[in-house]
Amino acid sequence: MNQNFAFNDMMDSVLLPGIGPLMPNDENLNLFGPYEGFIKGNLFKDLYQQYKNYQPAKLTPNSEREELLLNLDQISFAAHELNLYLDIHPEDRKALALFNQYRKMENDAMNAYEVKYGPLTTKSDALEAYPWAWEGTVWPWEKEAN
Amino acid sequence: MFAYKKRLMYPINIKKADLRMAKLLVTQYGGSNGELAAALRYLNQRYTMPDNRGKALLTDIGTEELSHIEMISTMIYQLMKDASIEDIKKAGLDPHYAEHNRALYPTDANGVPFTVTYFATTGDPIADLQEDMAAEQKARAVYENLIDLTDDPDVIGPLLWLRQREVVHFDRFKELHDMYLNEGIK
Repeated sequence: MNQNFAFNDMMDSVLLPGIGPLMPNDENLNLFGPYEGFIKGNLFKDLYQQYKNYQPAKLTPNSEREELLLNLDQISFAAHELNLYLDIHPEDRKALALFNQYRKMENDAMNAYEVKYGPLTTKSDALEAYPWAWEGTVWPWEKEAN
Repeated sequence: MFAYKKRLMYPINIKKADLRMAKLLVTQYGGSNGELAAALRYLNQRYTMPDNRGKALLTDIGTEELSHIEMISTMIYQLMKDASIEDIKKAGLDPHYAEHNRALYPTDANGVPFTVTYFATTGDPIADLQEDMAAEQKARAVYENLIDLTDDPDVIGPLLWLRQREVVHFDRFKELHDMYLNEGIK
């Protein structure tokens, strides 16, 4: 995936049409969209702290595989951020509802990736392929996996 | 129980070999403020947290730190991958090569091996959480030092992202810490 520093906040609507209703920006949950939150490393607008003049790298997929992976990465990250928040705010209904929407989207995004590009966990349906598909895909620390 | 996902938490693709930076980055793997110390700190402290908020938060942040170890390791691996022996010598990584070749090994930037003395568990949730808050701040500061030392966007991108995670984790630990103090939970 390419990284450069020309920030483009249009990506949320490009990658995730219809994400708007998922973001209840009330005083308790002031959130970035999943793409912007992911590239920043922080879903929570009020917690975001920029370093000097550095802007987060804009992540640009160069293939369909990278596009499916970026979609999974950002949705999974949004769910994880809400997970950490809910750990200490277990009675926040809006966060809970939003978490569950992202959780379901993450499952769909993971399945969409695995159907075409192989298993990401040892629980994947993609493991029904022959031969053993777990070792048939590139490991994530290799450049070509990213 | 832990399960592996065969993807990075944030993509890393470093096109330019840079042994000097690999030698410095390793401190966020095996140094005193690094990700290995963070993971072990939280995953050891979680058992004696006084309620389920603390057990959940330390489990989930501790698990995230394992993914950060993988990110830092990936950066070092990619930065060293195609290095020649000559380049390794020039960068002062020949002591590392003598013992480890191009393999990963958790040390700080001076080559001092990782030690569990980098973190503590006290069984006191306030003391443990204050250590956790300090640890996140120190890791943030080290990421900033590392960002200052490179101009490669492929390296800066993941470092900025990891730095921001320290910011979020600090805030979550502080929230929990303040809740415990206000509720008189010890």
